[in-house]
Amino acid sequence: MICMPTTKAGRRYTRRLAPTMAIYLVFLFITQWSFHHHHPTGLIVYVLAILPALPLIGSLAIVGLYIKEESDEFERSILIQSMLWGFGGALAISTIWGFLEDFAQAPHLSNFYVYVFFWFLMAISQPIIRLRYK
Amino acid sequence: MKNRLRILRAERSWSQADLAQKLEVSRQSVNAIETGKFDPSLPLAFKLARLFESPIESIFTDEE
Repeated sequence: MICMPTTKAGRRYTRRLAPTMAIYLVFLFITQWSFHHHHPTGLIVYVLAILPALPLIGSLAIVGLYIKEESDEFERSILIQSMLWGFGGALAISTIWGFLEDFAQAPHLSNFYVYVFFWFLMAISQPIIRLRYK
Repeated sequence: MKNRLRILRAERSWSQADLAQKLEVSRQSVNAIETGKFDPSLPLAFKLARLFESPIESIFTDEE
């Protein structure tokens, strides 16, 4: 993630997040490979489908840990504000898109993209929020 | 919130980075507090008061 502070908690955050995202890629590969080559059925379908989501949920917990561990209150405040932009923006986009799908025949967008919008908006809002404190 | 941090820091010839190191915060945090754009919590204000050996109310004023 861009603009992470260089505090101890910030470095711990990066050390936790990098392997979590690597695990996500591995799980995603396992799921895609399994569905492509083995056509699973029954309960295993659900297990494999949820598998890539687990590290992504973990990444949200890692953000929570960062907020808990960050002793620099200014840096914590920046991250919390950027999270609010991420949450608000992701909800706004998905709400608008939902109505576009219902009434304007917009193509269906997987709910997974809410997570992508959250991170994207959170990342781009950080340098903008910092500008207010210059 | 207005404050005298810049003056107190200059009296000791400390840079923002020096003060940040003593407070264990980022330099950006010191800058944001010093310019009055970010109000520190009470624990951080006490930390500053101890560091500058001054009462909190002599460092910070509640004027806008």
